Amino acid sequence: MTIKHESQKIAQNFYTFAVLLFLVQVLVGIIAAVQFMWPDFFILNFNTIRTLHINALVVWLLVGMMGATYYVVPEESETELWSVPIAKFQFWATVIAVTAVVVGYIIMGLNPQANTLVFGTRLLNEGREYIEAPRWADILIVVSLLLFLLNCFMTMFKTKKWTGIQGTLLGGLTVLALMYIPGMFYTKSLVKDQFWWWWVVHLWVEGAWEIIAGALLAFMLMKVTGVKREVVEKWMYIEVGLVMFTGILGTGHHYYWIGTPSYWLWVGGIFSSLEPVPLLVMVWDAFRTTRETREVTNKAGLYYTVAHAIFNFVGAGLWGVIHTLPQVNKWTHGTQITTAHGHLAFYGAYVLLVLAMIYVTLPAIRGVREFNPSRAFKSFWIMTISMVFIVLTITGAGMVQTYMERLMGLDYVAVKANYNLWFWILRAIFGVGFLYGVWILVVDYFKLGKEKATA
Amino acid sequence: MSNKAARNLFIYGSLLFFVIFVALTFDTMGKLDKRAPEITEEVNAGKMAWHKYDCIGCHTILGNGSYFAPDMTKVAEKKPKDYLKKFLMDPKSVNPKAAMPKLGISSDEADKLIAFLDWTSKIDTNGWPPKPILAEAAGVGGKELSAGQKIYQSSGCAVCHAINGIGGVSGPDLTKVGSKRDQEWLTGHFKEPAKYVPNSAMPPYKNLSEKELSDLSDYMLTLKQQEVKK
Repeated sequence: MTIKHESQKIAQNFYTFAVLLFLVQVLVGIIAAVQFMWPDFFILNFNTIRTLHINALVVWLLVGMMGATYYVVPEESETELWSVPIAKFQFWATVIAVTAVVVGYIIMGLNPQANTLVFGTRLLNEGREYIEAPRWADILIVVSLLLFLLNCFMTMFKTKKWTGIQGTLLGGLTVLALMYIPGMFYTKSLVKDQFWWWWVVHLWVEGAWEIIAGALLAFMLMKVTGVKREVVEKWMYIEVGLVMFTGILGTGHHYYWIGTPSYWLWVGGIFSSLEPVPLLVMVWDAFRTTRETREVTNKAGLYYTVAHAIFNFVGAGLWGVIHTLPQVNKWTHGTQITTAHGHLAFYGAYVLLVLAMIYVTLPAIRGVREFNPSRAFKSFWIMTISMVFIVLTITGAGMVQTYMERLMGLDYVAVKANYNLWFWILRAIFGVGFLYGVWILVVDYFKLGKEKATA
Repeated sequence: MSNKAARNLFIYGSLLFFVIFVALTFDTMGKLDKRAPEITEEVNAGKMAWHKYDCIGCHTILGNGSYFAPDMTKVAEKKPKDYLKKFLMDPKSVNPKAAMPKLGISSDEADKLIAFLDWTSKIDTNGWPPKPILAEAAGVGGKELSAGQKIYQSSGCAVCHAINGIGGVSGPDLTKVGSKRDQEWLTGHFKEPAKYVPNSAMPPYKNLSEKELSDLSDYMLTLKQQEVKK
């Protein structure tokens, strides 16, 4: 395994930043888990810790996807990247901007009054979940994304070898960039605020990101199993098509109870119930393709690829559909059931996706013919088993909360502090297990190809 | 299906669904203002403070947020405003066990936050959050049982009938009985069910006084489809 184009190496910068942020994300996640039991546990309050936890997640996944795209586009276009300096500039600009935003969050966490109003927007933290980054950072993020897209499109124009995979990948990334805009204006109405906020959040994770996932899945299956391009691309179109047909109107499942008209109960209920279908097709696709090939050199790459397809379906699909119907959601909305879904969905759909891309492409970048995948397998199992148990404990907490708070009418705080305490304890323990898995992964990332392969 | 057909289906199909979604968004935007009270300057200032202190970093509102602290949608309806103000400015002085830190919220900001939360509690949310059904049925939602509710319980009506899912299923569900029947029908029916409902298996309740029957009917008449607050 070697790369065909020198500029594909730039992907590695992005991967390194991504796995390091992954480690940070899980570390602060454990602090947050402990704060569920002792709210005063750390110098920073829960809101700051959680902001760091979810922002680190979004950023490292995005950075990982950017790296993966910088690998895929030259390969598909069969040429060097249009501009390596732009890619490098864009990378370092991202690192600096992210660091500045994090410093801002910490300052705001230590002194909330520092979050002053500048030109009508908050200086350090916008106070809007997932898109807390202040406006100046939003603008930097968009500039960075546009430079990135420009670089990719110019590379494609050099040879005009339009392949389905890179077209779909860049289509998804363009939608991603566009869908950041609805989160960048202030509305006086909380209802409108949340309405447009879901445009960003839902149309990212259940729209643009799934298109990217579909394209990368097709690329990885082709690389790892050597299956014909025509076949993977056709199924890719069907999968991402079904994702969009169900996912766009599936946004309606966020518009049940936020002050929006009641027809969303029908729209959201019907379309979001169908959202698991394309994810199931992806699982079938991964298995069918894998069964047809006998010679796989990159076993770790294949492992993570297939696992991504499975856990995308289980986490985003099954754990989503259980509470997506309005009749159920009326009781579960705003409980830990959503947290459970969020954890397994992000792990399956995107964490494993980016890690799979790293294992599929990194050996080629480092020029490794074969590598010992034992650490990759070990980290996979430790992370996955820990995550499954984290999700089960949060699901249990959500069921108790739904029953006791929503049906019996007990106070939120009573349920959280007394009846769910054991779930929080177990969740924190499995969180440490997950951290151990991530640690092995990070070690493997830095050592891959740099030590002698011993089978 | 050829690759080209699959690709076109993906592109044009997605565009079609996106157009439908945009159309629904326009329709929704036109309807939102009627589903909530007017937004005053004070409410807007409260919303700005809500963002300033990153309240959503712990709380949920309209069910969205961080699941770490109670939902704020109806808090202004449930708790007295004086309590809320004191709590916002210094949580632990009101309740030593409170998990919320003292954020430095000023008296003015607290007033505005409460105005914002009061506005939020009046949004038409399609009936969310639902009233806890078990607490409602047991009458433990912080309310005294009405005379009719007491008779409903002492006469064992729940053995056969259900209200909000609580009770037996051998008789008709009474959750919305108040929208279907009137006082006269109900009182007469208690005395002689078969006269009103052919083949009724319900025994006549002739042992109850006129006052008791009328109280029970009054209670039945309160059982209507949950009305959405405007």
